[in-house]
Amino acid sequence: MGSTNWSNVRLILARELRDQLRDRRTLFMIAVLPLLLYPLMGMLFMQMAQFMQNHASKVLVVGNEDLNTAEAFVEQGAPLVEYLNQVDLIDVDFEARPETADEGISATAHRRMVDGPYDSVVYFPDDFVMAVFGYADKPRDTARSSAELENDPEARQPRPEIFFNAAKDQSRIAYERVAAALTRWRTNLIQSSLEKYEVPKQASSPFEIAAMDVAEPKFRRAALWSKVLPFVVLVWALTGAFYPAVDLCAGEKERGTLETLLCSPVHRSDIVWGKLLTVMVFSVMTAVLNLLCMVFTASFILSRFDALAAATGTTSLGPPPITSLGWLLVALIPLSALFSALALSLAAMARSSKEGQYYLMPLLMVTMPLMILPMLPSSELNFGTSIIPVSGVVLLLRQLMEGEIRQALIYVLPVALVTGGCCLFAFRWAVDQFNNESVLFRESERFDLIQFFKHILRERSETPGVGMAVLCGLLILLVRFFAGMVVPMPDSWHSFALVTTITLVAFVAVPAAVMSVAFTTSPRRALLLNGTPLTALGAAVLLAACLHPFAIWMSTIITEIYPVNTEALAPLQGLLAGAPLYQLLFVLALLPAVCEELAFRGFILSGLRHLGTKWRAILISSLFFGLTHGMLQQSVMAGLFGMVIGYLAIQTGSLFPCIAFHAVHNGLMISLTQIGEGWTTRWPWLQPLFASSESSSLSGTELPTYAWPVIMAGCLFAAILLRWFRSFPYLPSDEERLHDALEHQPLQPVSQP
Amino acid sequence: MLLLPARVRRIVIEPALVGQASNRLAYLLMIHVRELTKTYTDLERGPFVALAGVTFDAHPGEIYGLLGPNGAGKTTLLRILSTVLRPSGGMATLNGFDVVKQPAMVRRQIGFVSTNTAVYDRMTATEMVVYFGRLHGLDDETLKTRLDIIFDQLQMDEIRNVLGAKMSTGMKQKVSIARALVHDPPILVFDEATVGLDVLVARALLNIIADLRDQGKCVILSTHIMREAERLCDRLAIVHRGHLLAEGTQEAMLREHGEQDLEELFFSLITNHETQTRLDAVAG
Repeated sequence: MGSTNWSNVRLILARELRDQLRDRRTLFMIAVLPLLLYPLMGMLFMQMAQFMQNHASKVLVVGNEDLNTAEAFVEQGAPLVEYLNQVDLIDVDFEARPETADEGISATAHRRMVDGPYDSVVYFPDDFVMAVFGYADKPRDTARSSAELENDPEARQPRPEIFFNAAKDQSRIAYERVAAALTRWRTNLIQSSLEKYEVPKQASSPFEIAAMDVAEPKFRRAALWSKVLPFVVLVWALTGAFYPAVDLCAGEKERGTLETLLCSPVHRSDIVWGKLLTVMVFSVMTAVLNLLCMVFTASFILSRFDALAAATGTTSLGPPPITSLGWLLVALIPLSALFSALALSLAAMARSSKEGQYYLMPLLMVTMPLMILPMLPSSELNFGTSIIPVSGVVLLLRQLMEGEIRQALIYVLPVALVTGGCCLFAFRWAVDQFNNESVLFRESERFDLIQFFKHILRERSETPGVGMAVLCGLLILLVRFFAGMVVPMPDSWHSFALVTTITLVAFVAVPAAVMSVAFTTSPRRALLLNGTPLTALGAAVLLAACLHPFAIWMSTIITEIYPVNTEALAPLQGLLAGAPLYQLLFVLALLPAVCEELAFRGFILSGLRHLGTKWRAILISSLFFGLTHGMLQQSVMAGLFGMVIGYLAIQTGSLFPCIAFHAVHNGLMISLTQIGEGWTTRWPWLQPLFASSESSSLSGTELPTYAWPVIMAGCLFAAILLRWFRSFPYLPSDEERLHDALEHQPLQPVSQP
Repeated sequence: MLLLPARVRRIVIEPALVGQASNRLAYLLMIHVRELTKTYTDLERGPFVALAGVTFDAHPGEIYGLLGPNGAGKTTLLRILSTVLRPSGGMATLNGFDVVKQPAMVRRQIGFVSTNTAVYDRMTATEMVVYFGRLHGLDDETLKTRLDIIFDQLQMDEIRNVLGAKMSTGMKQKVSIARALVHDPPILVFDEATVGLDVLVARALLNIIADLRDQGKCVILSTHIMREAERLCDRLAIVHRGHLLAEGTQEAMLREHGEQDLEELFFSLITNHETQTRLDAVAG
């Protein structure tokens, strides 16, 4: 990237902002539309709310003719019709029970709801009155339990039946209103009966529950708004970033002004900075203007419901507290940066504005789940969730908006690191798009599948391209995902070994091997099957051994952050418990080492090196490697150690040290699990290496942890070994050479040939 | 022998400076292109060679023409020289700076005008020229002076405050040239600069290009219009299908190939090349 010329960045930013603000459509979308949209939506909402309030439920009551006249009901002053009339929004018709039943009551009720105007039908059986008041004269059946009596239709008491259609909201609302009325009626009958038999009322209601809310009203409001506002603001920030990004990249390509800018002496990274900052400004402006207009309109509408809230004792929503809005604006900056960088990278790939707009949907599909995840009731801010991109920021924001500042501040650093890392990655991706002439000057092509495959076969080189490498990674992920859904859980060690072997060979190694033969001219080079000195092999084995204590410690930390579901793991642990060690080492150490290294450090890493920077290739191949592992805890560990193995692959130019490292790493982990209980008695000489036995029992595992001096010594030796690997003659790819040349352009003329 | 313009020839051939002639020559070879190739990959056609080992030099104080039909590779060559594209092979230096290794320095040396380099619709002529002047690092005082000179030279005073969207094609072309000249580059590249212009504007533009040559600039002019090449170019190269078929002054090329005028020479070379290409394809 070279050093950034910030004066050029300012120039480009100023020009782009001025250009966008001179566009009437942009001004309308950003400034005018929010001012009009929310009041209009508010008016519409008020109209609809009014309509919904005035809409009464239409209810038919069948068989009540004796309820209002029965002496018992009259004596107790509890006629049903009075209770029904007390309920707002119920319009009741009464009908006598049919004398002859041509169809069942359920069919009749359904017909009356479908054909007629009724939302619900209430049916009282003919012996209902007798059932309500005749219990005192009826002998009790003490031989059977209440549950048995309940399940016997002959013994069960007649009851009013409320027929409704759960598939229709109106019918469900009608049911709720009628059920509420009947419940109050029943309560009154109970109270009346108790009075009649001189039983205290406490017999039916020995205690009342008092709900005491200690939250101040402003925090209650903040809690409610914190669930809605972040999501809405982020959606506006994303869409507010996307459309300017499309215009600044694809639009400029269409208008021909991009090439004009590319001819200037500005570095491509400066151009990207200028455009990124422009997009960020519009993203933030869109989100802020929409937020302010929405909050203002919502506060105005909700103030009308304050009186209702006060009367019913529920929380008055009211406007969000100013501090909540302040935190929202603070969190908006890094998220706008991330969305802007992603939008710019995608927009740079588009040939035209029309094509650019198609890329919005994939971006929404990726970011929307991350924005919705924090809204789930079970989501809470902890270390594990704080490192999820976007979701971590939203959870942190919610906690800040709810006033839990101290707890939120604990997670500011991991959230900031992850968000910053994602922004940097997205920015570098955008710069790569601007350095890639095939992206900048891509012509329209008619897609023909046969021609496409012919082209791929014709353009084969010794190593795969970036696209092929990514395709291989995605293929392996998808196949393993669907295989995991289809293949049943093995019930013995032998079936587990068979399934694992087939999975690794058929779904990991074979795709990589087949693709290397089909799409490269040198499968040996594509899979990095080059010779290596024995010293490198030995050093790789030693490196794995030195990093083993650190790996155990890391797995402990990861397990504490993301606790293992021990119930789900128990069957698998049972399968492994009785297996011979040599079989375990073959199936879980050697075989995965060979198959996974062929795929991830062989085919995929070889292809990804065409990106131009070796560390990016290592990172992405490690990401694929990590995601292939089914469990989150394993994925994190695999991703971290994948970086080390990727480094070995590039420095040595050979896959064999990687296989050695991987096999030894897995082998040591497995061997440790097979130590079993009482190891301190059997191998007392091992004891000094490990931490005290009290601390060796971990949540869900029995892995002993190494003592701190052992971990530190291991890391020190590992650093020395990695430094030794650095001395290997590293052979950069053509793209890496070009990238390096562009990063370090000399200012003096080169000598003439 | 390399034919140099008269004012340059005098300096190089002085006996006392023979020993230093190679260094002087290196300095004076402002554009130095050797075996430049560019290959694209097309889904249907497969590998497509846009430039096949093009070699030439261009000097200050001359107009070097690239003459060829549409699709000959002229725009690809000029985009490589302006560092918009990267070559697949070969090398090129402009004023001593390599187009691959030092693209930012190369862009400081050139002003590039092309049919693909448009003006901004929502900027005035002044704003656009000032913008690019600032990107080239010019301070306000120098910028003001340059603006006055260029706008006077190109007769643009009446369109100083006109937005790009409201300009005619000729006005836009003038703004593009002004934008390319603002930083007073030693090398100017014009790619089909008169396309779409009416006769009057095209003639005025060609006069401007000739003036720039007389100021000592190294000018590369690509065109498919014979008359332009005949009238303006000190030396030219005839390009077809990425190959440089002939190169030198008009007189030398006509003499070498026994043709009477440039148009006959052009068609003769193109036809022969087409025939040879077909023969090679059959033989291959």
